Amino acid sequence: MKISYRWLKEFVETDLGPAEIKERLVHAGIEVASASPVVEGLSGVVVGEIEAIETDLGPTPAGHHNRLCRVALPDRKFSVICGAPNAAPGLRTAFAPPGATLPGGRAITATRIRGVVSEGMLCSEKELGIGEDASGILELPADAPVGADLSTYLGLDDTILEIEITPNRPDALSVVGVARELSALTGAPFRFPQAAVRDGEQAAAALAAVEITDPDLCPRYAARVITGLSVRPSPPWLAQRLRAVGLRPINNLVDVTNYVLWELGHPLHAFDHATLPGGRIVVRRARAGERMTTLDGRERALEPDMLMICDAERAVAVGGVMGGAATEVTPRTTTVLLEAACFTPGSIRRTSRALGLSTDASYRFERGADIEGLRAALDRAAQLMADLGGGTVARGVVDVYPAPRPHSRIALRLERVERLIGACPPRPEAVRILQALGFAVDDSAPALQVVVPSFRRDIAQEADLVEEIIRVWGYERIPLTLGAGAQALVKRPPQLGLAREMSRTLNAAGLSEVITYAFVDPDRLKAMGWAGEQGLIALQNPISRERSVLRPMLAPGLLEVLALNASRQLPDARVFEVGHVFSPQVESDGDRPAHEELWLGIALTGLRQPRAWHAGRERVDIYDVKGAATLVLAAAGISAFDVVAEPAGGLPGYLARACAAALSVGETGVGWFGEVTHETREAFDLPAPVFLAELSLTALCALPAVTPRYQPLPRFPSVQRDLALVVSADVTAGEIEAAIRAMDVPWLARLQVFDVYAGGQVGSGRRSLAWSLTFQAPDRTLTDAEVNDTHARIVKELTERFRGEVRGTT
Amino acid sequence: MAPDPRVQQIRDRALADIAAARSTADLEQIRIRVLGRSGELTARLRSLGAIPAAERPQVGQAANRAKAELEEQIQARLQALRVEERSRQREAGRVDLTLPGRVTPAGAVHPITRVQDEIIAIFEGLGFSVAEGPEVESDYYNFAALNFPDDHPARDMQDTFHLSPDTLLRTHTSPVQIRTMKAQPPPVRVICPGKVYRRDADITHSPMFHQVEGLAIDRNISMGDLRGTLDLFAREMFGSRSRIRFRPSFFPFTEPSAEVDVLCFLCGGGGCRVCKQDGWLEILGSGMVHPDVLRNVGYDPEEVMGWAFGMGVERVAMLKYGIDDIRLFFENDLRFLGQFAPLTLPPHPSLSPAGRGTRMRRR
Ligand SMILES: [Zn+2]
Repeated sequence: MKISYRWLKEFVETDLGPAEIKERLVHAGIEVASASPVVEGLSGVVVGEIEAIETDLGPTPAGHHNRLCRVALPDRKFSVICGAPNAAPGLRTAFAPPGATLPGGRAITATRIRGVVSEGMLCSEKELGIGEDASGILELPADAPVGADLSTYLGLDDTILEIEITPNRPDALSVVGVARELSALTGAPFRFPQAAVRDGEQAAAALAAVEITDPDLCPRYAARVITGLSVRPSPPWLAQRLRAVGLRPINNLVDVTNYVLWELGHPLHAFDHATLPGGRIVVRRARAGERMTTLDGRERALEPDMLMICDAERAVAVGGVMGGAATEVTPRTTTVLLEAACFTPGSIRRTSRALGLSTDASYRFERGADIEGLRAALDRAAQLMADLGGGTVARGVVDVYPAPRPHSRIALRLERVERLIGACPPRPEAVRILQALGFAVDDSAPALQVVVPSFRRDIAQEADLVEEIIRVWGYERIPLTLGAGAQALVKRPPQLGLAREMSRTLNAAGLSEVITYAFVDPDRLKAMGWAGEQGLIALQNPISRERSVLRPMLAPGLLEVLALNASRQLPDARVFEVGHVFSPQVESDGDRPAHEELWLGIALTGLRQPRAWHAGRERVDIYDVKGAATLVLAAAGISAFDVVAEPAGGLPGYLARACAAALSVGETGVGWFGEVTHETREAFDLPAPVFLAELSLTALCALPAVTPRYQPLPRFPSVQRDLALVVSADVTAGEIEAAIRAMDVPWLARLQVFDVYAGGQVGSGRRSLAWSLTFQAPDRTLTDAEVNDTHARIVKELTERFRGEVRGTT
Repeated sequence: MAPDPRVQQIRDRALADIAAARSTADLEQIRIRVLGRSGELTARLRSLGAIPAAERPQVGQAANRAKAELEEQIQARLQALRVEERSRQREAGRVDLTLPGRVTPAGAVHPITRVQDEIIAIFEGLGFSVAEGPEVESDYYNFAALNFPDDHPARDMQDTFHLSPDTLLRTHTSPVQIRTMKAQPPPVRVICPGKVYRRDADITHSPMFHQVEGLAIDRNISMGDLRGTLDLFAREMFGSRSRIRFRPSFFPFTEPSAEVDVLCFLCGGGGCRVCKQDGWLEILGSGMVHPDVLRNVGYDPEEVMGWAFGMGVERVAMLKYGIDDIRLFFENDLRFLGQFAPLTLPPHPSLSPAGRGTRMRRR
């Protein structure tokens, strides 16, 4: 909201400059985004009168005629070329003589145009930087003092403070509200605007009647009638003040309602009395199917919960939001019914949202208007309207206020302030602050008895008063302490600890952590073979379709990361993410509205290692992603897990069936890994093979914790034997390993595959798997004979069982 | 008297091998084979007992002579080979120590995780436990319990993603306050890191971002303690010269409320582009927990009191690392992430190019 510095000073007697005021307000909780002059760079421009038009110089490119005008100042006359169509003898306007400057640093000098000298320039609103109108030169009233400095005359030598008010402080959404704050902050006297009404002969009650049928939505409605008005442009000071705070001047009557809105913060509405049969106002809910056209010319369908201002039959305004086109003030208006009402905030907010219509009025009403202050606003506006429109305010107010709202009283214990804040102002200062803010204070009892003014609807309890006192006293007076609280053991959730452990492990293995959006593209999910449509949680108001459902798995985000990097010439990526995936609520979720699980996803593509003089150029394959998954499991303390090629629960559709498997620990499925299908890669524009793994940290966390058990170190030497077994390519390493382990060979301390070879001498359809076996006894050195015998048994078992042959042993 | 043919044979072969040795390592092998503890010549000397007594002295002498001779030859050849090896190394050029060492570069910690962990570590040091809550929340936990009335403009402060009329993506980590307090009696001292969501997207706003919430509840715990704690935090996070400033503000769930600024660490308060000439940077919102919120979780506001704060992790990370576009965090360009990997942060000194060598020093 824009506030004029000069306007502010009308209500608070302070010598502080705009910058100091800004500083004070900021430290009391009123944000001031900027303090800037109304116009910058305007100087030397004066009020001038066109005495005569001397010569027509022919058409301008814009189609107007350039004319040579004689402009009079008290001491001198000037010949000025002007192309404005409204230049006419007798007009008083803005004149920039040579030596003046216009906004933007434009310096005015005498110039020669087609052989004719122009001694200065007549200016439009736009050229002066005070408005958008460039259609002609500024028209000033006939009584504007010729030769006077235009800035002073129009009040352009002013500063505008752009303030931001938090939603709890509707009372500060006005010049007077800010002035009151400033008075409390500085101790400078505060003055409420004059609102004395000179009542006319005729009684308002004879001209208007108000009936509230829905007081739950409109607790008070007051009206005055002003007669004998004529509609004309507002005087320059008023028009300029509105322009300076960002409002568009319309005419004297409408401008008054806006002026008083800005000054006192209470929205008002002016009806053309002649359009209201019998001057009758009914405040009621809309009827089913009712429609009306608002001031902006749009026809609105009304809903039964919306509060309407109506005449005897039809709706004439959306209460507290916007007036209607049929009853608005027009150039022919002579009598005005002026409304000052109070509406229920929630209702205004719902209506404003339903209609998609937010106005200065609805903005204030939805924050809460001052139910008592509306009378002052009504009086001030009525008198101003009469003054500016040459009319008379009818005697009295038609004021319907069925259930006057009591003022709340709150006890404030200063020792409570001390306990909450760690400091407290002296009692007299606390009382002064509250009184300056408009509270009535009874200081006779130990606890202050505070009466809350009607404009402070945000103050409901003691804590609210504590804040009032401390924010005005100064937050910088709050001490810096470290309380001695109760001691307790510091804990972190096991999932977080586990996630960090895994992340560090993967970081060390060269994988980078990514964080992707939790909302994904349903179409992409479909392209990835996601079948569980019903299991998706959709946003009601997504930013875009691409970000419209909560991710049911981490894979789409990871693939997006690979795709983005591939499109930026970064084809090699090894990344992981730890994040939640979402599915519909299950019973165990309790009061958590959705089922959330923490997962870890890994994605690899491109080169296995960054290029280096010592590194090869191998590309990642399925064993890289399995290895990374193994590391993750190891970080969770799990060394034994199963690879299940065809799990009961199936595998995600984005994994290639021939090259993917689930991972389980005991009976618990903990995730999967594999190569990403061609179709999925196409959906993400990924050119190279991609390998992905996803593991549920939630599942891993639920497994019993593993504590390492110490094994005595071997005291006797070990013996190692290698065994290369050529078998059919169908036989897996896992089967062979299981067969060896099933033999329950004594002294077999370690078993490892160290080479896999196919082709060449091995023969087609077969491959060689080379195993390293380490034998060791805990209590003695094994003899060659023992080892040879054991080894031979293993060879025999394997060759028979898998119809293999041995390629040579060492 | 014929010398011992066996000794002769060992000697001749050893001499030939010594002459043929190409490296000091070869030579060492020969020494072990012949003269080692179970070497050929040593064995012969040990087996003297098996030959006729008359021949024994002669054979023994011959063997000892051969041993001395071979030791001498090995020593001489060793000297020669060492010289040879050194000159070979010289010929092959020096070992090029400017070639990068063999490393598997570690992956990057995401800057958000990095900053979040830093924040967590500071508060864990101050005795705060970590608590977490769901990202999909009910209106009750996200708003109602936190004193946001229905149909109140305070709700506009946070543009919400809805999943249904009553469920939403949490707009702040504050619901974790409620869940934590409902689950345990006071005292409470927790921080709650996590993702939050608001319907907003530009270079300083992301529809998803991270917050860390802090909550301390006890019998006597004042706003002074809040200020002191946050001051300590700022010094730890932004450097010991850092200072904080409290400004009154409004949050429905705290009363009094304070916006907290930290002295701009780029300009030291003089004003610059980053702080928009203000000298201060807004980093978090805080305040004393509203009595209604305490009542909502079944605490007695006359008995206990406390404070809460919430800060945006992205905001802190952007300030700390000089990042000017929030979207970079979620794009995950590897060149961006790489700036937060151990090998590139901070910029590590490298050896100067070969030839100049001025920065190579030997101790
Ligand atoms: Zn700065």
